[in-house]
Amino acid sequence: MESGSTDPAGAVPAGAAPAVAFRNITKRFGAVTACDRVDLELHRGRIHGILGENGAGKSTLMKMLIGLVLPDEGSIRIDGESRAIHSPLAAANLGIGMVHQHFSLVDALTVWENVALGEAGRLDPGAIRNRIGEIAEQYGLVIDPDARVGELTAGLRQRVEIIKCLRRDPNIVIFDEPTSVLTPEESVQLFASLRQVVADEGRAVVLVSHKLDEVLHATDDISIMRQGQVVDRLLAAEADAPTLARGMVGREVSLRSERAALGVLSVDEANGFDDTPIAPTTGSTATSASDGRRPVLSITNASLRGSGGTPALQDLSLDLHAGEIVGVAGVEGNGQRELGDLLSSLLSLDSGSVSIDGTRVPDGRSGAMARAGIGVIPEDRHDSGIVLDMTLAENLVLVDQSAVAQRGVLDRRSLDRFARAMIDEFAIQCAGPDAPMWSLSGGNQQRVVLARELAQNPKVLIAAQPTRGLDVGAIEYMGERLEAAAEAGVAVLLISSELEEILDLSHRIVVMHSGRIVGEMTRSEVDLEQLGLLMGGAA
Amino acid sequence: MTATAPTTPTPTPAAARAPRQGGRAGEWFLLYGLSTLGALVLSALLVEATGGDWRPVVNALLDGSLRKPGRWGETLGTAAPLLIVAVGTIISGKAGLINIGQEGQLFVGAAFATYFGFLIGGPGPLNVVLILIFGAIGGGLWAGVAALLKFWRNVPEVLSTLLLVTVGGQLVAYGLSQPWLLLAPLADRGNRNQVSTQLAEDNRLPRPEIFGNEVPLAAVIAVALAIIVSLVLARTVWGFRLRMLGRNPRAAQRSGVGQTRYGAAALMLSGAFAGLAGAAMLAGGGFSFGNYQLVPGFATNIGWTGLLVALVAREKALVAIPVAFIFAGLRTGSSFVGATGVEGRITDVIQGFLVLALLIPPAVMFLRDRRRARAAATERV
Repeated sequence: MESGSTDPAGAVPAGAAPAVAFRNITKRFGAVTACDRVDLELHRGRIHGILGENGAGKSTLMKMLIGLVLPDEGSIRIDGESRAIHSPLAAANLGIGMVHQHFSLVDALTVWENVALGEAGRLDPGAIRNRIGEIAEQYGLVIDPDARVGELTAGLRQRVEIIKCLRRDPNIVIFDEPTSVLTPEESVQLFASLRQVVADEGRAVVLVSHKLDEVLHATDDISIMRQGQVVDRLLAAEADAPTLARGMVGREVSLRSERAALGVLSVDEANGFDDTPIAPTTGSTATSASDGRRPVLSITNASLRGSGGTPALQDLSLDLHAGEIVGVAGVEGNGQRELGDLLSSLLSLDSGSVSIDGTRVPDGRSGAMARAGIGVIPEDRHDSGIVLDMTLAENLVLVDQSAVAQRGVLDRRSLDRFARAMIDEFAIQCAGPDAPMWSLSGGNQQRVVLARELAQNPKVLIAAQPTRGLDVGAIEYMGERLEAAAEAGVAVLLISSELEEILDLSHRIVVMHSGRIVGEMTRSEVDLEQLGLLMGGAA
Repeated sequence: MTATAPTTPTPTPAAARAPRQGGRAGEWFLLYGLSTLGALVLSALLVEATGGDWRPVVNALLDGSLRKPGRWGETLGTAAPLLIVAVGTIISGKAGLINIGQEGQLFVGAAFATYFGFLIGGPGPLNVVLILIFGAIGGGLWAGVAALLKFWRNVPEVLSTLLLVTVGGQLVAYGLSQPWLLLAPLADRGNRNQVSTQLAEDNRLPRPEIFGNEVPLAAVIAVALAIIVSLVLARTVWGFRLRMLGRNPRAAQRSGVGQTRYGAAALMLSGAFAGLAGAAMLAGGGFSFGNYQLVPGFATNIGWTGLLVALVAREKALVAIPVAFIFAGLRTGSSFVGATGVEGRITDVIQGFLVLALLIPPAVMFLRDRRRARAAATERV
């Protein structure tokens, strides 16, 4: 990239005035101090990892740099000069770009149109397409500029976000949890090209993450945040995973959740740096459970054409038995989302059927799957899991109001009682049962979904990417809950792109590729190499 | 949070919002006061500019809507159908559907009421109830056409409801030209065309006289409906599910709130309310709404104005009660304005100013919050 023209200081080695210096930054939201006297420096040519649990203040700090949030106290210096960043536009003019965790794309527009959004002056589609091509080649972010964004997978949408950001040729680039939607392969690729770009072009890059492994392998400097403060600063070369984990949560975490928090860059690497052998979990009973007993959930020859006319599910058959956790492994975009949507009554099959206890459940009929006893923790809770504009208590009874209503009239008191019980049981942090759902943090929203689905006493529980975007503590909690549910006799289907999560929790693993189940193995006979090949569609 | 925040509301700690809202109630009140005053001053300037004097105009408005004998009863009579239309609009709005065809649904409803009212006949009080019911059925069916198009063929209800206003108007006009449908027998209509038979005395909604004003029963019905709908939306499972559908259709689909079933019900109910308003106008009569008979142009903008009432009340059925009364007052008051030498229709402009005035405060609050945050930040750096 021709960054030299826009950035005369590009060649200045790290050690000169830092590209960004946060000085004594404090930000409060009411009683909550999101950032507490934070000092932080970002240097050109280096990737700076900011590690912390959800709510540690990482995102707030970055939002100040991008002009979305204004600090209460302290100053931000860009290249040694104190700057007030009042708006995202001001940030853009200072050469600061951010790749957001939640997408800000327009579904109805094509990729190049999205990239061109916000540009002033005349549109030159040809030039934009070319630019997308250049960036794609340079960073390994291949994408069809004429594809409609609404039809892209989460991973590809993230690509569009990254291209949007890089197209402005920023000097300072912030990646907010960039791999939370990427496949392991895509993550490896992203970080490889990122490192090269940073070294060659002298950009300062921030990587906000709660995945230890990612921060450890992809960054140069690491700052660990906890409860709004920077609690530790270290060089990536001198750090190791347990140190980071301890710094992040401020306590020893159990091995399992620690491993889950590590995430995986690739199967081999995950095995390599973590020397604890992956021990079989309580899978022995489940293996036998699946022999000879009638399945609770039975999906038979399910086929579905996707939006682009390509098959999303192809002749997919899957049986699920009471008390077992079946992990669905696979690279994202291979039909997992459709599988989740099918079991949420959001899709109708072209052919095939879904049965619960041998009784066919009509697919695509509103509420039928939920009534038949299928609980769902959806991949994107904002999509079908919660209603942001309703209260927490109301969100707890979205599916079934019978327990808190009499003759069709809601009983406010029993709703309130029920909500308080759930808030206690699931340790949901909130202002109370009547708090609007949008006021809760992502992790707590996820707890509301979990609480609601488990309170229905489901026969089957679908957990689609249940720990995406959650911190170590919450991941651990989710895992325990899923295991407890299975022990209580619920058939659990765990759809996840985090292989570690699947290896940790599942009794049986099936692999999805191109809308089919391409392989199956029990927990005790897992062959990681074979698994990787199946996921890649090579076996 | 600024305008550039992503479409999904960024979760902020709940504590950040709660304490601020209490202190802001006063500011909201002040803003509404100021913007309303602004609208009135603008209206006064407009009156002056057109060669009138604002004082007599204000007096005429108050005389016409409240002070002169019988006028507040008249205003109540106008407010009743406005409120009924608005309440219906709120129902469909809660379900996330935009019905803007009330004017047509009201007219079709009134036509149904007229036709079946005469077809069935029957003893007085019972027939009044039947007339109201058939009005609701007519309006509901007319909105049902839009619902059918939406849930069967995916036609946006904004378009279909609006366009059906014209179609409905033409259909009723045809009915009014046919003796076997709505047209009154020659003996009853003299030499007038396109007019229905007048409702018999005992087929009309009573208007008992209190303090020299005729208080129309329709107004009591309207207020009762507003209260009932407000309760149903907030307290019942059905209302809960309707709100869920409006706020997140996919979560609703998963939870058993079928868009087709609940959405169509909400849209048809909304039309039914408009149709009921039409029937109430027909059976309620009064100065504003003709003579207990159906004529072309019977709806006289009550549907459109009722839509505005719902808009200004911001989907709150109880708030719609005073708003409907204010809009009704402008309407009844305007008939007195003509006597001051100022064009009576100036009240339409005043009404427009008022709608804007009531929609401005939320926008102002939003902008000011942002400016304050920026100014505070500039000071610090």
